[in-house]
Amino acid sequence: MIEFIVFFAFAAVAIIFALVVILHRNPVVSVLSLVASFFSLAVMYVLLEAPFLAVLQVIIYAGAIMVLFLFVIMLLNLQHREEPATRPVQQFLGYTGAAVFGIALVYYIAKYAVLKLPGTPFLSDARRVGISLFQAYVLPFEAVSILLLAAIVGALVLSGRGAVAQ
Amino acid sequence: MTDWTDVGLSVLKIVIVLLFVLNVTPIMVWVERRGSALIQDRPGPNRVGPFGLFQSFADALKFFMKEDVIPAQANRWLYILAPAFGLLPAMTTIAVVPWGRAFRLPSGRLFEPIIADVNVGILVIFALASLSVYGVTMAGWSSANKYSLFGGIRASAQMISYELSLTLAAVSALMVAGSLRLTDVVWRQTGYFVLFDRLKIPAWNAFSPAMWLSFIVFSVSAFAETNRLPFDFAEAEAELVAGYHTEYSSMKFALFFMAEYMSMATMSAVITTLFLGGWDVPWYNEPPTAFGFAVSVLAFLIKVSFLLFVFVWVRWTIPRLKYDLLMKLGWKVFLPLAVVNIMLVAFFIVRGWI
Repeated sequence: MIEFIVFFAFAAVAIIFALVVILHRNPVVSVLSLVASFFSLAVMYVLLEAPFLAVLQVIIYAGAIMVLFLFVIMLLNLQHREEPATRPVQQFLGYTGAAVFGIALVYYIAKYAVLKLPGTPFLSDARRVGISLFQAYVLPFEAVSILLLAAIVGALVLSGRGAVAQ
Repeated sequence: MTDWTDVGLSVLKIVIVLLFVLNVTPIMVWVERRGSALIQDRPGPNRVGPFGLFQSFADALKFFMKEDVIPAQANRWLYILAPAFGLLPAMTTIAVVPWGRAFRLPSGRLFEPIIADVNVGILVIFALASLSVYGVTMAGWSSANKYSLFGGIRASAQMISYELSLTLAAVSALMVAGSLRLTDVVWRQTGYFVLFDRLKIPAWNAFSPAMWLSFIVFSVSAFAETNRLPFDFAEAEAELVAGYHTEYSSMKFALFFMAEYMSMATMSAVITTLFLGGWDVPWYNEPPTAFGFAVSVLAFLIKVSFLLFVFVWVRWTIPRLKYDLLMKLGWKVFLPLAVVNIMLVAFFIVRGWI
């Protein structure tokens, strides 16, 4: 009973804030709404008895990535605080594209996806996630690490060029 | 069927912890002001009540009476929400910290003095700590004041940087305990190391040859994470007026104030739990009775109070760093030290020395 109340409350919060993300004109408000939405998703993980995933969701998405988003938007967007309105053509294309994608998504999920929860409890403690990360998925894990390292080096090179020239 | 005794006990625990956390602020304000006076050789507040003890109540009354100003250019919603977002992580983090030895009630039920004994305890603390950035950043941005914005941006940069060394320093304590659950971390620290066959040292992680380094890294990073001097760049009154809360007045300002002291208390509790043995009384084996529980709670409170005093002591002793030095310290000193320390602890564990 109480799980249902918590689920619907936080599902509503997640959807409302997700809508605010795309509908609000102020990018800072959008970022903060996305944080709220991610936090509500973390509550869903707790309800699925996967507290480890919930905590990771908060630490990585709500805590780390969104702080960087906020940081960049606040630094880049100091002069004009609101995004300019889009042109009618853009709006038309956007709405149509979203509608087609949404209908296709619903169609394919209804047709092919199996909406059944596994009978056993959802096991995702730290040990299990760590072992699968370093045994079954070690190659993708290292590949992502190298990709991130390359991105860091690239950012350093790009930002360091001006300093050297001066 | 709901077990109402369980619900009642949980509510009782929440009330106890909330009372503690809420009372930290007035007490610490008094300690801070009298302590700074002691260090600077002046009397400090000594008019309201004995030793100025009721000064905090007078301050609180003053905060209630002040006019609540919202700047015309401010983003109203975020401006009002920011203090609440600052306060919330500070208040909730302490829920996963054990504050005493478990004991059996007369009815035979085991009383665990911790609100939520989750198996990802320490990660909950880091998750909520990472959310505490938003209160400061929102306040800085929504005030529509460049000093506030600078304060907010500095605070977020600083907190992101020091979160890394904080997390990595905590890893060593977790590796030794073999668990993310904080009750396990505390149980691991009960008992002794025996030195030279006769000298008994409490088995606290801070005294362990492999972990004193991470204890230091963690403690100093905790200062940066709570925005206390010598790392209080979010406020830096000499450069930024008052940083992120320049535009705040009345109770909204008081909420930021409360959040600062609450996160100090939480950080002290976490340092105690990870490195100073939690509720463990040195050279004493607490019995699983009400008496053992009381003694252990007292030991925990003494350790936390001492660390809180250290926070005050450091603030009035060490001047503020330069901002680039702060970043250098975080990324080029503490981060490598924490990583090296993880290797060291791993080596100790593999050799079976811990």
